[in-house]
Amino acid sequence: MLALINRILDWFKSIFWKEEMELTLVGLQYSGKTTFVNVIASGQFAEDMIPTVGFNMRKITKGNVTIKVWDIGGQPRFRSMWERYCRGVNAIVYMVDAADLDKMEASRNELHSLLDKPQLAGIPVLVLGNKRDLPGALDETGLIERMNLASIQDREICCYSISCKEKDNIDITLQWLIAHSKSQSR
Amino acid sequence: MGSFRRDKDDEDEGITNIYQNLEKTSVLQETRTFNDTPVNPRKCIQILTKILYLINQGEQLVAREATDCFFAMTKLFQSKDVVLRRMVYLGIKELSSIAEDVIIVTSSLTKDMTGKEDLYRPAAIRALCSITDNTMLQAVERYMKQCIVDKNPAVSCAALVSSLRLASTAGDVVKRWANEAQEALNSDNIMVQYHALGLLYHIRKSDRLAVSKLVNKLTRSSMKSPYAVCMLIRIACKLIEEEDISTEDMPNSPMFTFIESCLRHKSEMVIYEAAHAIVNLKNTNARVLSPAFSILQLFCSSQKATLRFAAVRTLNKVAMTHPAAVTTCNLDLEGLITDTNRSVATLAITTLLKTGAESSVERLMKQISSFVAEISDEFKVVVVQAICALCSKYPRKHTVLMNFLSGMLREEGGLEYKTSIVDTIITIIEENAEAKESGLSHLCEFIEDCEHVSLAVRILHLLGKEGPFANTPSKYIRFIYNRVILESPIVRAAAVTALAQFGASCPALINNILVLLSRCQMDPDDEVRDRATYYLHILQSNKPELYKHYIIERETCSLTLLEKALTEHLNGDLSTSFDISIVPKTAIVKEEVANEAMLISNTPRAPKITREEESAARLSQLPGIQVLGPIHRTTTPIQLTESETEYTVQCIKHIFANHIVFQFDCLNTLPDQILENVRVELTIPEGFTTRAVIPCPKLPYNELQTTFVIVEFPPDIASSAATFGATLRFVVKDCDPNTGEPDSDNGYEEEYMLEDLEITVADQIQKTKKSNFQAVWDAADTEEWVEAEDTYSLSAVSTLQDAVNTILKFLGLGAANLSEKVAEGTHTHTLICSGTFRGGAEILVRSKLALSDGVTMQLTVRTTDPDVAELVTSAIG
Repeated sequence: MLALINRILDWFKSIFWKEEMELTLVGLQYSGKTTFVNVIASGQFAEDMIPTVGFNMRKITKGNVTIKVWDIGGQPRFRSMWERYCRGVNAIVYMVDAADLDKMEASRNELHSLLDKPQLAGIPVLVLGNKRDLPGALDETGLIERMNLASIQDREICCYSISCKEKDNIDITLQWLIAHSKSQSR
Repeated sequence: MGSFRRDKDDEDEGITNIYQNLEKTSVLQETRTFNDTPVNPRKCIQILTKILYLINQGEQLVAREATDCFFAMTKLFQSKDVVLRRMVYLGIKELSSIAEDVIIVTSSLTKDMTGKEDLYRPAAIRALCSITDNTMLQAVERYMKQCIVDKNPAVSCAALVSSLRLASTAGDVVKRWANEAQEALNSDNIMVQYHALGLLYHIRKSDRLAVSKLVNKLTRSSMKSPYAVCMLIRIACKLIEEEDISTEDMPNSPMFTFIESCLRHKSEMVIYEAAHAIVNLKNTNARVLSPAFSILQLFCSSQKATLRFAAVRTLNKVAMTHPAAVTTCNLDLEGLITDTNRSVATLAITTLLKTGAESSVERLMKQISSFVAEISDEFKVVVVQAICALCSKYPRKHTVLMNFLSGMLREEGGLEYKTSIVDTIITIIEENAEAKESGLSHLCEFIEDCEHVSLAVRILHLLGKEGPFANTPSKYIRFIYNRVILESPIVRAAAVTALAQFGASCPALINNILVLLSRCQMDPDDEVRDRATYYLHILQSNKPELYKHYIIERETCSLTLLEKALTEHLNGDLSTSFDISIVPKTAIVKEEVANEAMLISNTPRAPKITREEESAARLSQLPGIQVLGPIHRTTTPIQLTESETEYTVQCIKHIFANHIVFQFDCLNTLPDQILENVRVELTIPEGFTTRAVIPCPKLPYNELQTTFVIVEFPPDIASSAATFGATLRFVVKDCDPNTGEPDSDNGYEEEYMLEDLEITVADQIQKTKKSNFQAVWDAADTEEWVEAEDTYSLSAVSTLQDAVNTILKFLGLGAANLSEKVAEGTHTHTLICSGTFRGGAEILVRSKLALSDGVTMQLTVRTTDPDVAELVTSAIG
């Protein structure tokens, strides 16, 4: 009974109050972060982007949720600054190029050293394996293993395999994100 | 009464500044607000304002504080508030040099500068250029090029100005934007055109041919922007000066024709700029100048205060270079001395003082004293400088001027103003023996109530130097001892030193001085006590030769070099003790502008560093240079090539006690060549020995590199003036003009004839300035000194002034007591001058000149070395 009332309350809330969430998008360069933002913002896929120098700030409205995305450049010189933009966000999205097996180890190390930062404890993490349309790309299980995600126990962590080009699994990714805006606001 | 009180209270409250009591840490705490969601623009704008205020008030942020603040600020990019965004740009610009990792905002700024919001674009460009370093410039180059030719003038201006700023650090990249700048030059907007010309000129300024092409092209097309035309006039002037166009050719030069045509421009700004440019040219005559001066004269009676000010300021500046032309404007200047604008009036009066006759001095001084209290310090300084100029021109007027100065000294005023007055009085005292007594007593009066420690110390030093030789030295002692009782430790210490000078130079006063000094030994400050004890012991020893070395003529080392030598010593192995004799003694700093006192100079004076100090720092990189001992003198550079040849070489001679170091600064002007193993071969005259040749390993295009030759002087001083033949030798390799990489490893030997070099007598003498020449001259009548005397008839010169100039030039000596200026209409003159020969022998010269049929001269040299005496006497003739 109580659950039912809560659900009705939530429904009212979603009508009268807009949800707002903030997330930070990081990952090695050329993994498709800026492309991902463009895909979820406008549904357009554009290949061959110029590398992000610094960060892009985008606000995306999906239904009644406004998502603020901090899309941070992935070049080595920016990696030390990731942490500053991850503090206090609702979720960290970590983008991996699932088809580039050579960079997998570097990507894993960067992720783990980022999550070791005490300031970021408890923030949910979504690992996205992009470019699943390419031959030889890892799927979720492969990613979980290669990225050693099982060792991360202190927070909620999730992994999806997506393709920005084919728009595969973009919908479930958005669902996960929107769900986390609600879970935080409560 | 009640209402009066309220008014006063209101006034007090009215001027409070809400940002006055900000504290850095609390403001930085507030930056946390930037992380709040949603962003509150009003609040954030206020915090940003506080940060900018603090930084502009000189508050220093350390790198970590600035970085934290900077990153907090980047969070504000999520807000769409226009005002807030523009404040963020300002914040970025201020913090860009202190914070780390500022490139993080590159992408966001690039987006703003190429975006649709015109209010963002110019400011984003400026902010972007302030955070961009050379490695990132490639990434934004494309956007910058687009923005330079943007149709929005504000965007285009911002891009052009930012490019100009970048050009100082990344000249090569900015050079590639010349086409865009060229396109912007055709813009209809006056500011865009002006900035485009600025950038284009900056890009090409090292290539004179390109600049003159640019100017030629632009002078033919009439530009719309008056600012651009003004700039063009300045560039044209520079070209005229560089090409050194002679007076006769001036009217035919296209550059000059252009400037002259600008006198008829429709914009007043351009007309003034052209007139200002012409009167400041080097090679001009009355015919060329007259149209420019009539323009200035016209402006003097203009309705607009700015034009009057500009005209009178220009006239003031050139009053000493073109006195005749300025005199034609005297009538207009007279009209301006009662101008309602005080600045105009001050400048008019000082100009008249510079050009006017001796008889008008008193009238003008009266006029100026009527309002001197009302003008700002800056203009008071102008007045003081004019008075200083007058004093050297009309020494007989010193009583009027000195009274006026002492009146000014008693008034309120800032340190700079007071310093200039004291400077002037000191100059007068040094140059005019008659004014000495009254000048000293004015200064004594001044230090009785002087809040500026630096001035008090200077005056006490001067009293110590000059006071003992005054008619009644005892009267100064009271003033000095009062300082010991009343002032701060620094002044007390200076006063003790001054007292000791009296004790050393006036035997009659020594007992009194000893009493006073022994009282000073009780002083609470240890420096004062130390000095008192030191002087007391020397004076009690009763040995005049000790007085001379330890009180009267204490040699002072050049402090910058002493510090450097000590640091080097501490970094060394410390097994040897420090040798103070390797540190050069201070020399007089030569003023670059001879008539500086006559000019209004608003530029801050460069820190006084002698050429010797500058070159000592440079030479210290040479291995084994310490063996040569302290540097004695550095000459001004001499060109050994024509200015437009493939390779240009200039030579600077560094004279040491027994050696010369020739420094050759070489420049390769061929982009497709690289020179290696560059050195200068000297044909050594008899007696000289080459000790070392230090070649320059590599001389790429357009880089100034240096090679050295060290030569030892012959033991016989008489043959130390000689001429050296010089040849530049090097290996040539062809190279790619773009990369500078040599095409192959094979080069070929080449040589290039240079002009002959001379070592003259003057090169070997460092000029000194004796303020009390007569005393030194009389003291030099002992056995240690040699005197040589000779009579010459100088046929090459026709006036006494020419003769004086020639003597000073040949001997390289410094004249004392203003004797380098010959009064007009006299037939005899005595020139007294002094200097130090390399190795330390002092030279005193007195030359009596008489004008008859040509100039006859009797030259008396007193020096401590007989060979030097012979060399000096033989240098003339």
